[in-house]
Amino acid sequence: MLNTDIFTQIGLNHYLFLSAILFVIGMAGVLLRRNAIVLLMSIELMLNAVNISFVAFSKYSGKMEGQIMVFFVMTIAAAEAAVGLALAVTIFKRFREVNIRFFEHLKG
Amino acid sequence: MSHQLLISTLILSPLIGFLINGLRYKRHSANVAGGVATAAAAISFLSAILIFMELLAMPKEGRQIAVNFFEWMTVASLKINMGFLVDPLNVIMILIITGVGSLIHLFSVSYMHHDEGAAKYFAYLNLFLFNMLVLVLGDNLLVMFVGWEGVGLCSYLLIGFWFKDSDKAAAGMKAFVTNRVGDAAFLLGMFLLFVSFGTLNFQEINNMVPADPTFSWLSPLTLGTLFLFIGATGKSAQIPLYVWLPDAMAGPTPVSALIHAATMVTAGVYMIIRLNPLFLHTPNTMLVIAIIGGLTAVMAASIGLTQWDIKKVLAYSTVSQLGYMFLAVGVGAFTAGLFHLMTHAFFKALMFLGSGSVIHAMHEEQDIRKMGGLKKHMPITHFTFLIGWLAIIGMPPFSGFFSKDEILWLSFHSPLGHPALWALGAVGAVMTAFYMTRLMALTFWGKSRVPQDVHPHESPALMTIPLIVLAILSAFAGWLGVPHVIGAALGHLPNILAEFLSLNIKPIPNLAEANVTTEIILMSVSVGFALISAALAYHMYVRNPELPGKFTEKVKGLHNFVYNKYFVDEAYEGSIIQPLVQTSKSIWFYVDVNFIDKATYWISDIIKGGGSLVRSLQNGNLQTYAMYVAIGLVMTLTFILVR
Amino acid sequence: MNPEAFLFWFLSIVTVSAGLAVVLLTNPIYAALSLAMTMVGVAAVFVTLNAYFLAGVQLIVYAGAVMVLFVMVLMLFDLKAEIQAFSRGNLSGFLKIGSVAMLGGLIIGAIVMSSNSLLGNNLPDLVVEADGSKQLGKLLFSKYLFGFEALGVLLMVVAVGAVALARSKGGTHAKH
Repeated sequence: MLNTDIFTQIGLNHYLFLSAILFVIGMAGVLLRRNAIVLLMSIELMLNAVNISFVAFSKYSGKMEGQIMVFFVMTIAAAEAAVGLALAVTIFKRFREVNIRFFEHLKG
Repeated sequence: MSHQLLISTLILSPLIGFLINGLRYKRHSANVAGGVATAAAAISFLSAILIFMELLAMPKEGRQIAVNFFEWMTVASLKINMGFLVDPLNVIMILIITGVGSLIHLFSVSYMHHDEGAAKYFAYLNLFLFNMLVLVLGDNLLVMFVGWEGVGLCSYLLIGFWFKDSDKAAAGMKAFVTNRVGDAAFLLGMFLLFVSFGTLNFQEINNMVPADPTFSWLSPLTLGTLFLFIGATGKSAQIPLYVWLPDAMAGPTPVSALIHAATMVTAGVYMIIRLNPLFLHTPNTMLVIAIIGGLTAVMAASIGLTQWDIKKVLAYSTVSQLGYMFLAVGVGAFTAGLFHLMTHAFFKALMFLGSGSVIHAMHEEQDIRKMGGLKKHMPITHFTFLIGWLAIIGMPPFSGFFSKDEILWLSFHSPLGHPALWALGAVGAVMTAFYMTRLMALTFWGKSRVPQDVHPHESPALMTIPLIVLAILSAFAGWLGVPHVIGAALGHLPNILAEFLSLNIKPIPNLAEANVTTEIILMSVSVGFALISAALAYHMYVRNPELPGKFTEKVKGLHNFVYNKYFVDEAYEGSIIQPLVQTSKSIWFYVDVNFIDKATYWISDIIKGGGSLVRSLQNGNLQTYAMYVAIGLVMTLTFILVR
Repeated sequence: MNPEAFLFWFLSIVTVSAGLAVVLLTNPIYAALSLAMTMVGVAAVFVTLNAYFLAGVQLIVYAGAVMVLFVMVLMLFDLKAEIQAFSRGNLSGFLKIGSVAMLGGLIIGAIVMSSNSLLGNNLPDLVVEADGSKQLGKLLFSKYLFGFEALGVLLMVVAVGAVALARSKGGTHAKH
């Protein structure tokens, strides 16, 4: 008899697993994709993954601070997206391209 | 307090002179610089006289002024004070140094007035005086060593003063390097004394010397005194390290008079006299000193017989006379050694300055074959040189007679002496009389061999005044130390010098009662032979000028051998310098180039390779950097979880 | 299978597949749409966690404002499907995927290993029920007021900075 509790009894760990998987997917995007805008999207994905774990902790510990943190993170994420996209626009203006391989100048 | 002030003035006045001239050597003309330097030396001399008065005013037993300026260093049990001590022994030295020094400064004003670097010259001369005073006044070996090195430096600077001539610069270097050999031995001696006594202070060392002499060759005190003596052979130009002094004549002539005749070269003698109880404690060292001194006296005198350069003759004469001083201290006759040091300072400075005056008159010509008959052109120089000549050949009653005779007598009579030593000294004296007469004859007497275009003239007053003063001193200074036997004959004249020094100098142990007859006989023999030899030289060089040529033809081989200074320089070159150079070269090639250099290249290659390896990590790609962050994260997490 | 579990699994599958689509689809527009889908999924997850206010904010800010921004920029650039969507290099690609996978495994391992110590077994009764938004608002304007104000300043700075950046001719280096 297979123990199906793991499928039926949803707990903190489930949300944390979901968060971890999303985070890793976002990270893979950051590492692998060459389009700067998709890169930014992947970062958003990572931030969202973290948000899930914050909210999950908040719920299972009964403290509202987790949600406050999510609130802050969202604001920061929005700001970051704005700046990142502004940068992408600038880069596009210069190179007519947003491929990350044009940014191989990040060395002394 | 006033003592401190006096000694400060004495020592610092030349240093201030050096600073004034040294810092403004480009702007000071020869006259200004000479004035400043001479004034500095004169102030020093006045302080020396005042200190001398002070000493005389003190009771006989307590005649010493000790001044401690500051504690120089304290390392474990080694405690060195920058302390100075004036006592009857070194008050004589400072009077000689500052007195003769002032006269030579005065002489230099005129001698150097046409030289471009005159201010530099006077600065060096003042610096020399300062260092010499430190050497003589220091109350411990280390302070003395500071002065010892300082005078070596000044000697080097002044020998190579005309450094644009590479021969002269090389002579300076030769002096410096030869002195370093001696200095190294001096240091070793100092270490041994420190190990034995735990102090470097002269008075403490002299008080701690055991009463009974040591007859072992290997005792630390014997070795220590031997090393100190080797140091002295370097500074005072004795066998085997005398070779630098003749070459040192490359410097300006007043320098030869001050440094290489009157003061610096006597430092070794002074050092031994200063430590006389210690040296008396080690008879083996004394024997070595006496033998070396006697041999040097004869050997240098024999070379002096053959030289043609007026300054070279005087240089070998200086080496020879220094040999007498070492012979004196070697047989325990410290008073006689100091006495000869003093009289020699007077008459040899006089003769060097006289030769300077001659060279000046002859337009820088130093070869005595091109002189002759200068007597009528330069009467004052001739007259003063004549007195110097009479003093050095030991003609009574000039100063050289008293001092040299006392040395010869004591080398015969002292229990540390030996008739053979007396014989060496006597042979040296006979040779001295010969070469000095030869020098006089070729320079001043006989027919003139001066080239047509040179018109010798008497030197200006600034040069002749020091000559006259030194001539007076050379003539009469001998009466300070009248030998007992003559004093008795003349109505018990006291030996002023010996009495004055009695506090500092230990008497020769087991000295027998002097046999008056023997003393008189020996004295007559040495003086008689010297006079005969002088007469012979006069006969050979004035009466029959072709005679010396014929004579040298007969003993050509020997003459060549002596004329080339016994090939000592060549022997050193072949046996010491060349092997050293070759060894150094091979070490340079096999060790330095092939091993050390390559090792450093390997290291640099490894670092370079590692650098280029690591550099490829920083490729400028954003995502690669992100990957490093991810890998770092993985590692950190792994570390945390595994732990 | 209870409805709670069904909801979780359903939302998980939707969110993860949408997230994968963001990373894997080569056309940026599709990627952007997938991201929007992910945002909606996350918002729904927030709802299941009783964070209603945050769910609303998530929808408005992310699925609304930020996504619009992305899509606008994409349309501005007029980008087609890319030829080289993924970075090259076998070694670095392997390293990247490997490190990402290891990171995922490690995080999950960490969660499993520490699940007991994270909150303890005696979970408190959920106090956040219908009143969550009110509590959040009170906390935000009392205890975290300073942070809230600081965020406001930050947003303004970002707004000015973004405009300034977008107006510049590009790059701080001299033009070639």
